[in-house]
Amino acid sequence: MKNRNQKTYPLWMAAPGLLVYIIVFIVPTFASFYFSMTIWNLKDARFIGLDNFVTFFTMTNTRTALINTAVFALVTCVAKIVLGLLLAAYICSGIRSGNYLKIVIFFPYLLGNVVVALAFRALLEPAGTVNQFLTAMGFDAVHWLTDKHYALLSCMIADIWKGIGTVTIILIAGICAIPRSYFEAAAIDGASRVQTFRKITLPLLVPSINTVLTLCLIGGLRSYDLIQALTGGGPGYSSEVLGTAIYKLFARGSYGLATAGNVILFVAVALIVFPINSFIAKREAEIS
Amino acid sequence: MIRKRSFVSKLIEIFLVVLTFFTHWLIFYFVIVTACKNTEEAARLTLALPKEFHLFDNLAFIFQYQHNALLKAFKNSLIITLISIFFLVLAASAAAVVMQRRKGLLSRISNKLIVAGLIVPASVIPTYWMLNTLHVANTLAGLCLVEVATMFPFAVMLYKGYISSLPTEIDEAAIIDGCGSVSLYTRILFPLIKPITATVIILRSVLIYNDFENPQYYMSGSSTQTVQLFVYSLKSAWTTDYGHLFAAAIVVSLPLILLYIFLNKRILEGMTAGSVKG
Repeated sequence: MKNRNQKTYPLWMAAPGLLVYIIVFIVPTFASFYFSMTIWNLKDARFIGLDNFVTFFTMTNTRTALINTAVFALVTCVAKIVLGLLLAAYICSGIRSGNYLKIVIFFPYLLGNVVVALAFRALLEPAGTVNQFLTAMGFDAVHWLTDKHYALLSCMIADIWKGIGTVTIILIAGICAIPRSYFEAAAIDGASRVQTFRKITLPLLVPSINTVLTLCLIGGLRSYDLIQALTGGGPGYSSEVLGTAIYKLFARGSYGLATAGNVILFVAVALIVFPINSFIAKREAEIS
Repeated sequence: MIRKRSFVSKLIEIFLVVLTFFTHWLIFYFVIVTACKNTEEAARLTLALPKEFHLFDNLAFIFQYQHNALLKAFKNSLIITLISIFFLVLAASAAAVVMQRRKGLLSRISNKLIVAGLIVPASVIPTYWMLNTLHVANTLAGLCLVEVATMFPFAVMLYKGYISSLPTEIDEAAIIDGCGSVSLYTRILFPLIKPITATVIILRSVLIYNDFENPQYYMSGSSTQTVQLFVYSLKSAWTTDYGHLFAAAIVVSLPLILLYIFLNKRILEGMTAGSVKG
């Protein structure tokens, strides 16, 4: 039987994909641990131990980047999930415009990050549309992208705008997967809308929330394009995140130091995501 | 659900629908209107309708900019998306069949690698170094390799989940009827997993077409551009010339907007198929 199995599903059929994956993804990932401890110009690498990591944690811009990345990931993640959850629960309560809301809210997902950044830049310029609106209402204009207190916030707003659709859609699918009979039983027992949400929808939605949480956290920690195109990490380092810091180090040729940043990102993602995500591994075991 | 809807619930619905006019439609409107204005008028960044209709002038300008750079960028993006998706579908489905059906040490190891790849972010510079070693850095081929490699775990995951729901009796019957391993895959299994192939094609081509980070890193040493890089370079070159910038942004987004208009149901379904399973 085993012999036949091997003949029916020969390894060479899996080889092309796996080889590309291993050579272009897995090998560089392992190599990054070594290169992060070197001074490196792509050809020669001189081993210097953990100096790059020390530098990364002590240099102002990279340290700011680390803090900003954590803030960015956390805030966008919480905002997307809370808003997405409310929207999903509401859309699933059988409203007429549910389909319309889904389609419109999801739409920004299809736009490139550069395009989204362009639109938000025009809206948030010092004399831009948002400030025109604010001053017309009698508020003070805010320098959304050029004030160091607001730059990161503006990036987060753009990111939430773009990403909330995905979260909502996934949570809606999760809610739809809950058997209707639970809701009917709750209605017969006289549960209020809020009670139904808290006691039935929320607990049964935990797997979907886990998925969304993982996706958002990984996405938030890795975010790069939107911020690069919106503020470029500026003004100063006020909206610098790991992604933009790594790109700057890459552009100026500090490959070893940039790779150290990459390894930090890598470890952060692993430390945060693997514990939350062990359930995926369990489900994966069930599937295979 | 089944209960009668309260007045408050209806009020919230109206509020949400009205809210989308401000949070979404107004932004789309602003982008479109600005793309129709000349440079001077666009720079005012108002929501007013254009005094003169300049959309076609703006379009003509961006298409001619730098000797049809936009058309070349379109061609490159198209090539990258098509080739990457083609190889991704072939490689991931074949690998998934073998990894799902064949039990053994190698399958287990590859499974572990795949799960890790779903979570771990790529290390950009070592990847660049690898492409350099393979002599494909700064080429379209190199970029395609990176796209296939980064999309591979997710695609394999989707395929495996679906294949596990197909009974092995199908395979056995095919073998008894004289199928070899290749024809089992091409004539029996691949047609059966079409729904996942559709999901992979739609979702991943959106990501590859919109990809900015990978082209920026791995094409940085070449003059070859993708559409996203093109728009980004315009942003640096024109800074606040929003009439032209938005005309370019609309043109570049148009293929996916059209896709969404015709396939929005499919895309929304695919989105959840991908996430609930993974």
